[in-house]
Amino acid sequence: MPNKSIRRDLILIVVLSQALLAAGLVFAGVYYTHHQLRSALDAGIQARLMSVAALVRYPEDPKAPLIFERSLVPRSVQKHHPDLYEIRAAGVGVVARSENWPVGMQFDCPKVKPRWNFEVAGVPYRALCGSDVPILDREEGQADRPSTLTVIYATSRVEMNEDVRSAGISIALASLILLGATVWLALWGMRRGLLPLQELAQQASRVSAQNWTFQASREADQIAELKPLNEAMGTMLDRLQKSFQQQREFLGNAAHELKTPVTILKSTLQSLLQRPRTSAEYELGLRQALEDMERLEKLLQWMLRLARAEQWAHGTLRRDLSPVEIAPTCEEAIDALRGLAQERHAQIEFNAEDSLRCKADAEDLELVWINLLENAVRYSPEGSTVKISVQRDGNGKAQIRFEDQGAGIPEEELTQIFERFHRGDPSRTRETGGFGLGLAIAKALVEAYGGTIRASSVVGHGTQMTVELPTVAANG
Amino acid sequence: MRILIIEDEVRLAENIGRSLRESAGYAVDIATDGEEGLFLVESNPYDAVLLDLMLPRMNGIEVLKRMRKAKQHTPVLVVTARDEKESIVALLNAGADDYVTKPFDLGELLARTKALIRRGKGQPSPVLIIGDLEINTADRTVRKQGQDVTLTAMEYRVLEYLAHRSGAVVSKTELLEHLYDYNWEKFSNVIEVYISGLRRKLNDGPHQLIHTVRGLGYILRE
Repeated sequence: MPNKSIRRDLILIVVLSQALLAAGLVFAGVYYTHHQLRSALDAGIQARLMSVAALVRYPEDPKAPLIFERSLVPRSVQKHHPDLYEIRAAGVGVVARSENWPVGMQFDCPKVKPRWNFEVAGVPYRALCGSDVPILDREEGQADRPSTLTVIYATSRVEMNEDVRSAGISIALASLILLGATVWLALWGMRRGLLPLQELAQQASRVSAQNWTFQASREADQIAELKPLNEAMGTMLDRLQKSFQQQREFLGNAAHELKTPVTILKSTLQSLLQRPRTSAEYELGLRQALEDMERLEKLLQWMLRLARAEQWAHGTLRRDLSPVEIAPTCEEAIDALRGLAQERHAQIEFNAEDSLRCKADAEDLELVWINLLENAVRYSPEGSTVKISVQRDGNGKAQIRFEDQGAGIPEEELTQIFERFHRGDPSRTRETGGFGLGLAIAKALVEAYGGTIRASSVVGHGTQMTVELPTVAANG
Repeated sequence: MRILIIEDEVRLAENIGRSLRESAGYAVDIATDGEEGLFLVESNPYDAVLLDLMLPRMNGIEVLKRMRKAKQHTPVLVVTARDEKESIVALLNAGADDYVTKPFDLGELLARTKALIRRGKGQPSPVLIIGDLEINTADRTVRKQGQDVTLTAMEYRVLEYLAHRSGAVVSKTELLEHLYDYNWEKFSNVIEVYISGLRRKLNDGPHQLIHTVRGLGYILRE
């Protein structure tokens, strides 16, 4: 089991952020509700305070204490926790108190923010203090009597607190439901979102050496996030398929090419054994078999050489190389093919511009030149000239060019000539004795040294092979 | 019997040729490219053609197609390195009678060639029986009235050819053309020598088998 899951991480993030949001919502909701309810409560207290204050009257007798019409006090809204009040008058002291006013409880009336909370026997109350509340029943000639009251009125906060709590619970519940819905939606969305990915995986798992088609579903193709993946997989598969196919072709070609020498060897030995022969006949037969064997061996060597060159070209093998002067390797190749050139009465013209060096193995370079030159000489008409030039091109690279005056190669065939086992005209085949590997080896070697090789040709006029190799400084 | 081998690998062609000469007593011609092969097929009456596919100048399939187009009915055995179904089907559809894939066994090639020749002559059995004469083409033995008859190589070749064409008149020229490859000088009186040798060895009994058709040639029949 993988221990990391994008889905789980995303869900976790969604849940966490949702939970945070819910908490914030509950907090803000509770705070706001509390605030609103308290304002309402304060307004109610204020009104009750005023109405209680209005129940204070002056008695007929000026000496008598102020009268408080207790019977007219409105009944408390909260039956279980009746309101508390205390009315004081300057110089007189307490005019009236609610019956449930706790003994010994005393408040000063703050001038600023005359509201506060307190508890009576565990019951939370909110008090409001009105100072300088005028006595409404004011008559003339009573200047010596107190004209204002200080009224403290308190109401139980139980109800408000309950309201706040229930509001909080509703908000929390709603948030929880929302959270659940969000998680579900997120899960659903993610599953839906990840569906193309699964399809992609399925598609990818269907790819095999037999079946290289990878077609992302249209859905997956339309998803911006998956598109690069699709494309990357597509190109990767293309490359893989190509190299796989190349390998397979090489194997097929190799097997095919090996068949002929093996057949010859086999037929030589079989016909030798067909009936008793003289020792001279046996000797001749064995010599022939040996020749057949040598041809087989040569083909194998070429194939191995090609495989190795391709490994270098693909960078799977590394070698330490020192700079090599290019021109002398060309001269070596020309020397090697002098015999063939004479046989075909071909002239070889060689021009080398000063000193050009590249990092390569001298023998490999020589082999490349031999392969190119051999083709040029073989496919040239008798008595023609093959030109070889070595020069620096515009980009500071070494350019080695082979020009012949042969029949040329048709355009559609130019791209194939570097393929393994390719031999120009299939019915010209073994006339030249090659195995169709020379140019493939040349290409692999040139590419192994970071160079390029290309062919251009004009049918009837000749072929031009151009090799470009990166150079190193003369003193490098 | 006379066979043409069209094969550009000279060594292989020579090995096959030697094998056909030595173990079947066939006359063998060799062509090393398609054009030469086609020319030889058109100018000589072969009893079978062994054809390679990868040939210089004209590939094997083309040779085959042209042969069939020119109404050449000589049986063709194709020698190919390709063993994929499609190419085999294409071969047979182009007019090939049979094929062997490289690397093949010389013995098998020989047996297939013999079978092709038999079928080409309308004589599917490897043992040819004419009256009390029995010719086993597989091991090249001849029996007359149950008794082994010893023949020279050339006598056997003449008899085998006549037996394959039994009931038909075979001219001296036809015999010469089918028994010698093109390197041989052809003298028709040589045939008469073989025929008289055969008559002497075979016509011990009451029935004469080899009849002379005056001015036309010979006929082998009961």
